[in-house]
Amino acid sequence: MKHLRSILPLLAAIAVLLVIFTLWVPQHRFLTPGNLMDLAQQISVNAILAFGLTLVILIGGIDLSVGAVLALAGVACVSVLGVAGPLGGLAAGLGAAILLGVANGLCAARTRMPPFIITLATMLVARGMALGFNESRPLPIGPDQTFILALGNARAGGWLPLPVVVMVAVFAVTGVLLHRTRFGQHLYAIGGNREAARFTGIAIAGHEVAVYTLCGLCAGLAGVIHASQLYSAEPAAGQGFELNAIAAVVVGGTSFSGGIGALPGTLLGAIIIGILDKGLNQAGVHFSLQYIVKGTVILVAVYTDVRRRNGAVE
Amino acid sequence: MTSAPESTTTLLSLRGIRKHFGGVVALDGVDFELRAGEIHALLGENGAGKSTLINILGGIHHPDAGEIRVDGAVTRIESVADADRLGIRLIHQELALAPNLSIADNLFLGREPIRFGLLDRRRLVADAERLRDELGLPELGDVRLCVGELNVARRQLVEIARALAVRVRILVLDEPTASLSESETEALFGKLRRLRGQGVGIIYISHRLEEISRLADRITVLRDGRSIGTQRAADLDIQQLITWMVGRDLKEHYPRPPHAPGELALSVRGLRAPGVNDVSFDLRCGEVLGLAGLVGAGRTELAHVLGGLVPATSGQIAISGRPVSLHSPADARAAGIALVPEDRKRGGLVMTQTVSFNLTLPWTHLWARGCMPDHKRRDAIVVRAMKGFAIKASSADAKIGTLSGGNQQKVVVGKWMEQPPKILILDEPTRGVDVGAREEIFALIGRLVSQGMAVLLISSDLPEVMNLSHRLVLYRGGRIVGQGMAADFTPEQVMAELTRGVPRNSRPGEDAPNPQESSRPL
Repeated sequence: MKHLRSILPLLAAIAVLLVIFTLWVPQHRFLTPGNLMDLAQQISVNAILAFGLTLVILIGGIDLSVGAVLALAGVACVSVLGVAGPLGGLAAGLGAAILLGVANGLCAARTRMPPFIITLATMLVARGMALGFNESRPLPIGPDQTFILALGNARAGGWLPLPVVVMVAVFAVTGVLLHRTRFGQHLYAIGGNREAARFTGIAIAGHEVAVYTLCGLCAGLAGVIHASQLYSAEPAAGQGFELNAIAAVVVGGTSFSGGIGALPGTLLGAIIIGILDKGLNQAGVHFSLQYIVKGTVILVAVYTDVRRRNGAVE
Repeated sequence: MTSAPESTTTLLSLRGIRKHFGGVVALDGVDFELRAGEIHALLGENGAGKSTLINILGGIHHPDAGEIRVDGAVTRIESVADADRLGIRLIHQELALAPNLSIADNLFLGREPIRFGLLDRRRLVADAERLRDELGLPELGDVRLCVGELNVARRQLVEIARALAVRVRILVLDEPTASLSESETEALFGKLRRLRGQGVGIIYISHRLEEISRLADRITVLRDGRSIGTQRAADLDIQQLITWMVGRDLKEHYPRPPHAPGELALSVRGLRAPGVNDVSFDLRCGEVLGLAGLVGAGRTELAHVLGGLVPATSGQIAISGRPVSLHSPADARAAGIALVPEDRKRGGLVMTQTVSFNLTLPWTHLWARGCMPDHKRRDAIVVRAMKGFAIKASSADAKIGTLSGGNQQKVVVGKWMEQPPKILILDEPTRGVDVGAREEIFALIGRLVSQGMAVLLISSDLPEVMNLSHRLVLYRGGRIVGQGMAADFTPEQVMAELTRGVPRNSRPGEDAPNPQESSRPL
């Protein structure tokens, strides 16, 4: 199976990392069910962001605004909880995120501005909007907001963190969309050869708007979960999250030039990044060194991927 | 020769089609007629307007004037979708496939089978296999393979299969056999004949006379954007066709300088590189050596080796008798070679910059030493080049894109002349250049040669290469297939030689030229 072959190296990398940290982390604290559940919980937000970003990067775009949109969605949600209730809050958070996604998509599809610049700008706009709430101070979520709080903290069946359930659901929906529908097929065509897609009569602009909107929606969902996990919406939350999400996407084997990649790869990429973060932390590695290790891992992962791919295609 | 029963239903008729791009006239009144159940070959030199014409049919370009009738009704083809609706399918020379998707995916792109709203991959593969078998294209092989992993020939087959996957009334093929083997070509011809039997009208573009004479019912020759004449294949007169193709009635003046060969400038022996097979020739100072060959013959590949862009795999290159090894463009420049590349917008000019920027770019070591640029020196270089080459621009600070094609080309040549090279390689120097500017460029070449420069002129414009060159090298399939004094050849001889049995089984990676290679940006 083609897909299995491309994710095998990622599975191997995960196995190696698990072995390393099992041996390294003192008192055998790493490979325990409880610790792994925490790990899964911590991965969820990044993974949800990365799923949306995978679609964008697949068509040759990029979205730098997801971290800021995440913060804005959290703030928008929590600030209306009191008047609109949990569903209204959810709608406000997701709505704000979708709005920015649509703006990204329209700019990318209708103008010749590069997506890097467009989303750099919307990143600043979204961050400014988030900071505008409550004089930039965190908005705590009242203890009576059980639904919103459960979204980030409850455990299904007493053991499975709800954010993980949401992440798996987003993975399933996005995976089907990307790999089992015409829409997904056309995203691959656009990323692989834009001209060919155009000559075939695929409406590129429509697909572009849809993809950035979905990416915004993912960021919004992640934002609500993140706020719930923190028991408050932080206007300054999510700084640098976009970079972690991009790292998950590219480590997962999605080509930055578009057209190549798959959602399972992104999930595994997010798991690799998550294991590194948690493992290095628990092993007591100084945070300065953590950055260096993570950077090196990303470089090595993408390098091997590019080499493997060039060997196969050329 | 299997000629279909003569059909009289006119499917498509073009009257007085004109199209110009900027100052360059691509089509200057083309008349053309295609009947149902006919294979109509379109023949012409490179630049005769064939590609522009089919792009008009495909809805990619729009004519400035003229009338298109389909089934007798006047029609406008505004978009690719319009062409689709009319049943016009184009198979482009440049393949329009998504390399990251499988053969099956590409065949049904935009028309994927759906089941319960989801992509039905199993049926997609099954449909693709059925299409492959129905079309009798077993060479397509496993339809689940990724197109990026296929060689050019199989990609071509995917294109063809995709065009035939839907109802087609007018099929246009642009050089479809350029990278097909003999048996693949035969299979394709069989296919086309069957379609003809079903009443499809086929426009077939090629410059392989032998092929056309086997396949076509009628042949129309295009030259300089005009339709010159149409012949029935039944009473085919190859001599007549060649005369139509080359006989330029433009009163152009070719100022060939007197042939005064001086010392040996460049000597190439047994040169091999991808697309270049065992090439040997000499070039002397004060001489124009013309390299005549069709597009895809490997001419550009040879130019790239001499320009230091692609390393030779074996053979010797000597400049003024001294062996040199060219590993980079800097090596070539140090050895006294300047290359004016085929695509000036990609390889010759920094399009976002000004005339003066481009003219002084090779000479930064003269005017920008250290951190204090010598503006006086820089301006002097610009003035000398613009005067010396009569470059017409609103000012030296005009963006290069605002210049005409001819003046852009003069900048590409002129930028090397602050310290003139010993050897100048010109790859298609008059492509996309209007008639007046062509003559200026010819005059410029003459002047440089009479000053003792050695010029290697690569051109697919036959009158140009024959009339400007002192000596001629005929180039086909990466090999020299004839050489001599230019005056000793007739255009008909040259064209016959260049179009004769173009080597088959050319596969990428082997030493035969790969048309995809030459179009890749540097």
